[in-house]
Amino acid sequence: MRNWWKFLGIGLLLFASVAGFWVPLAPALVHVSPDRIAPGPVELTITGYNTRFGPGALVSLKNADQTICAKSVVARDAGHVTARFEIPAGMKENLTDVAVDDLIYTGALFTEELGSGIESSICPEPYPSPTGFTFPNRSILYESIRNLHFHVPMWFTMIALMGISVFQSIKVLGSNSLDQDLTAEMAVRIGLVFCVLGLVTGALWARATWGAFWTNDVKLNGAAVTGLIYVAYLVLRGSVQDAHKRARLSAIYNIFAFILLVLFLFVVPRLNAIDSLHPGNGGNSGFNDLDLDSRLRMIFYPAVLGWILLGCWMYDLRVRAARLANALDR
Amino acid sequence: MRTFLSFLLLILSFAARAESAAPSWLESTLYGNGKINVVVAVVAVIILGIGIWLWRMDRRISKLERKS
Repeated sequence: MRNWWKFLGIGLLLFASVAGFWVPLAPALVHVSPDRIAPGPVELTITGYNTRFGPGALVSLKNADQTICAKSVVARDAGHVTARFEIPAGMKENLTDVAVDDLIYTGALFTEELGSGIESSICPEPYPSPTGFTFPNRSILYESIRNLHFHVPMWFTMIALMGISVFQSIKVLGSNSLDQDLTAEMAVRIGLVFCVLGLVTGALWARATWGAFWTNDVKLNGAAVTGLIYVAYLVLRGSVQDAHKRARLSAIYNIFAFILLVLFLFVVPRLNAIDSLHPGNGGNSGFNDLDLDSRLRMIFYPAVLGWILLGCWMYDLRVRAARLANALDR
Repeated sequence: MRTFLSFLLLILSFAARAESAAPSWLESTLYGNGKINVVVAVVAVIILGIGIWLWRMDRRISKLERKS
């Protein structure tokens, strides 16, 4: 069974893709209307996502140390609840957060006309609602958090293939082997397929979350430049006639290209001076800060391994076809 | 291949025109529904990309078969 890794790759992809779509998002509050309130009677309509609002829903408004409970609550359906409040005039701070049962929407509200005293009421404690296996429900992202399992593995696969390529290139410098040079070239070619897929899927995701297909984010530009560096590697190969000269020259170029890849994708976006929209870069925290992130990881790591194995399979096929073509040319 | 590409460009230009006429197709497809559509679009792009690669690989191997 020397093909076990191909089965493993497809199995992991199957698992990650099915789970990536099947696992529901955690319930969350997504909308509060109106979002500006003033002292006096207030009626708020709160929209939830994947929530199960019932007749006994507990609704309250909060800030750092004050809580105002709802006078009456009407759950219109599982995703909508309407609550009436009597906001006291003596609030010291803005009421910013809305809570329904154990769900909290921070920064949902702005309160006008503050007083100087503290008025707060004691609300009944909600029971923690049982949740199954869910993905985190983050504002802006919502369901598109699933793209973590599809878009990000493209980049991991590209980096793995470029790593294989630079490894072969280093061997070329010692051995002058044309076959190793061929494997280095084919790894770059397959890596570029994943680079293009990463860029296109990233553009779609960016449109849905950041509002534009292309933003001037360091990681985007770094990824695009990295792709161009590897296109230049292929152009360089095409411009040298002598096979041994081409092998050595492109091997040296490839080593520099990989160093630039590491710089553009890992070092530059993490510099503190640079802001990045990507999680885990610049001043932006990654998915790591989510308490539920272990659930994402349980799908994400198999997805990454599955895609890398698929990329290796594609690379294997490409190398074998190229070797056959060389043998037939001779 | 060339006819296929020009056909693709034609379709894309129509799609671009449709977008400028009504602000909605992209807005409604990518923003609605808790943004599940963007995940579907991403997966579609990946499958399409792998499909195009397979197609080219198929042609490459056909060429080898003809040579041998």
